Amino acid sequence: MRMFATIAKLLVKRVLTAIPILLLVSALLFCILRILPVDPAAMSLPPNATVQEVEAMRTEMGLNLPLYQQYGIWLNKLFHGDIGRSIHFRQNVTSLIGSTLPATVELALIAMVVATVFGLAGGLFLFYVRGTRAEAVMDFISILLLSLPEFLWSLFLLLIFGVFFEVLPFTGRLSPGFERPVVTGFLLLDSLITGKLSTFFNALEHMILPCLALGIALSPSLMRVLRSSLLDAYQDDYIQQARLRGLSEKRILIRHGLKNAILPTLSLMGVQFGFLFGGTLLVEIIYSYPGMGNLMVDAIRNADLPIIQGAGLTYCIAVLVISIVVDSLYLILNPKLRVR
Amino acid sequence: MTFEIDRRNLLQMLGLAAVSGSVLSQATIAFAADTDNVTIGWPSDVPSWDPNLRFVPDAQPLFKMVFDQPLDQSPDLKLIGNLITKWELKPDGMTMPFEIRSDVKFHNGDPMTMEDFKYTFVDRIKSGLKLDIANSWRTLTDIEILSPTSGVMKFSAPTPTAPQWLAFLGSYLVPKKYIESVGPEEFAKKPVGTGPYKLVDYQMNSRIVLERNDAYFGTKPKIKRVTIDIIKDPSARTAAIQSGQVDLTVNIPVREAERLGKTEGLTAEINPFTRLILLQMRNDKGFTDMAVRLAAHHAIDKAALSKAFYGGAAVPLSVPATPGTPGYLPDYKFAYDPELSKKLLADAGYTADKPATFTLAATNGQFPSDFDIARALVQMWQKVGLKVELQQIEYSKYFELNRGGQLPEATLYSFDNATGDPEIFSGYLMNPKMPFGAWKGPEIGDKILKLFVEPVYEKRIAGYKAVAQEAVETGANIPILQSVQTLVRKKSLNYVKYGNAWVLGSTMSWS
Repeated sequence: MRMFATIAKLLVKRVLTAIPILLLVSALLFCILRILPVDPAAMSLPPNATVQEVEAMRTEMGLNLPLYQQYGIWLNKLFHGDIGRSIHFRQNVTSLIGSTLPATVELALIAMVVATVFGLAGGLFLFYVRGTRAEAVMDFISILLLSLPEFLWSLFLLLIFGVFFEVLPFTGRLSPGFERPVVTGFLLLDSLITGKLSTFFNALEHMILPCLALGIALSPSLMRVLRSSLLDAYQDDYIQQARLRGLSEKRILIRHGLKNAILPTLSLMGVQFGFLFGGTLLVEIIYSYPGMGNLMVDAIRNADLPIIQGAGLTYCIAVLVISIVVDSLYLILNPKLRVR
Repeated sequence: MTFEIDRRNLLQMLGLAAVSGSVLSQATIAFAADTDNVTIGWPSDVPSWDPNLRFVPDAQPLFKMVFDQPLDQSPDLKLIGNLITKWELKPDGMTMPFEIRSDVKFHNGDPMTMEDFKYTFVDRIKSGLKLDIANSWRTLTDIEILSPTSGVMKFSAPTPTAPQWLAFLGSYLVPKKYIESVGPEEFAKKPVGTGPYKLVDYQMNSRIVLERNDAYFGTKPKIKRVTIDIIKDPSARTAAIQSGQVDLTVNIPVREAERLGKTEGLTAEINPFTRLILLQMRNDKGFTDMAVRLAAHHAIDKAALSKAFYGGAAVPLSVPATPGTPGYLPDYKFAYDPELSKKLLADAGYTADKPATFTLAATNGQFPSDFDIARALVQMWQKVGLKVELQQIEYSKYFELNRGGQLPEATLYSFDNATGDPEIFSGYLMNPKMPFGAWKGPEIGDKILKLFVEPVYEKRIAGYKAVAQEAVETGANIPILQSVQTLVRKKSLNYVKYGNAWVLGSTMSWS
């Protein structure tokens, strides 16, 4: 009961803190994008528009008003759920983000699972082989994994599994011929809801390479943090006492060492998940994945400021939500924090 | 709710567990080999399924499969009838009587009528919707309906390229009754056209699935289902055709196309089309002196650029028009002559101590090898004593910089004109009132403005040929190369090659 009360208190506190952060981010986003030498009015018209038409559009969009007034209008609309209208697509930004966000969330979540599995397994192995020649080899591998960014992993995996072995698809979310169920936008969930198992597995098959690319790039830092946390944990007395009690090394590692060492890794995972969201941009382009990263790249290419603003805010909200979730997990896993 | 558990699912599960996926990929490849289907790897998506909304050249082949244009173009770019069967622009260019087919139906079964024409080109634009075609049809004041199949387009000013625009960007017929009943937003979600294919599934930035319109008035496509995978990354497109995940793809690097052309089962083409690569020139700053502009042009080895960046397939150009189009001058050649460049600069008083200097702006990634060409140009100019600073710009900023008069002396630019008409080449590029070209000199500009209202076709074409040559000889324009489209396909997949790089599923068949 006490734990839930503490978590609820934390949630309230974090949500209250998140409001000024969001306001600040929205103001920064708005100002930075307005400072850019890009004219949204001109961009929203065809190239053969006249100077007079551009001027009329500028007035219509309120771009001739002082910056603070423009921000006020934008913020007011934002509070009413209107992020604006895309310059390039001429569609409501909210609906564009709404239709692409589930694909990115799905991708990021599964990539996080991949990163966690690889990171934890690798970290445990690194710790297990400490002081041996295998540690040096694993160290080398982890540095190698760390030094390649997501998009290079994407290309590398695509060439290996898509072109050389021809065993995995690498375009889109489904193979041609598969019907796409639309319920929530989360394809895996939707295919399960509608009972289309073949679609579910096909979608999963399409996620293997992008998720591996994202997950592999994140896992080395998790491995290394877990290893060093375990090394720290093993300096503590309770490990010696566990040994004196005659517990096996494996049991000590899983039951005592890992339980305490996992907390810094969990913190890192929270931070990494934020980066993972950002990392989907190029990965989605390479794998033709119809998520928010793909939309963002389009928006940047077309200087579509309303989408950039909307997507920027969405990324910010995602990071804040993740940090709240991680903090809650921290409280659940670490009783000392609950006492404080 | 039904669960489809069969042998295939079980095999898929096993495949996933092993992360080999070999069993699964068989399904994908088996589908691709089906002769009723074709999968195309295309580099960009439509901005919206409302075809009147935005001018995006690369999206035109996608629109053309779902919608029809009043007029069409043959593979050699001649204007041909389509929804309109007869048309005649009157000598003053102010009216154009036309007749339409009576046997055309929209995908929802509604018949196409003159009301749809009036709605698409007049009423919809006047309704205040932000449509790009409003700009191309701004002189169109009305369509007078004379009978169920005939009408007259009425213009507020001579509009000599009205027929060309009926087969160009954004000019697709949309259904009045359907749009008025569901609204424009819903129409963009579930588009209804008269085209050879119906849209059956669309996921933005990922996939377009089209199914043959069996009630199509024209030649029925041989392929029943066309899947278009939007693959923006050129490496991924290369991988997709190599692995057989798509049957045809375009715009991959020239070297990759050449390599894949040697792969068994695939064939590759490097096709020049109606897109220019040119230098947009200013008539002031470091380019005030005509000698500097001409020296810059004579110093460019266009054949070497073509060989280095386009496998020699990009045709070196001397005028801003592509071979085979009405405004092209096949017998006119602007010489590559670095010695003449040096002489022109020396005669104008420029020396090694006091060199002519200017800035070149170029995009990086807007069209294949753009920034590499810019770097090569800088080197070529250095050899003749021109000191050039290279500046990278975003394509999205081009028009804004041009409107504000902030483009540097020269800008490497690519200009697409699927019609091939010289108004949309020389005319648009050097009309001082339009935002495309940086040249604002009145000598050329006045001539162009007169040609914009010249209704007599032959006189108009002759005028554009003369002004194009004059522009090149005065350094108002430096055409460099005709752009190329790389295309790689399975050998057994046939398609019809268009001079403007349209790739249409409706022309494809398996052999």
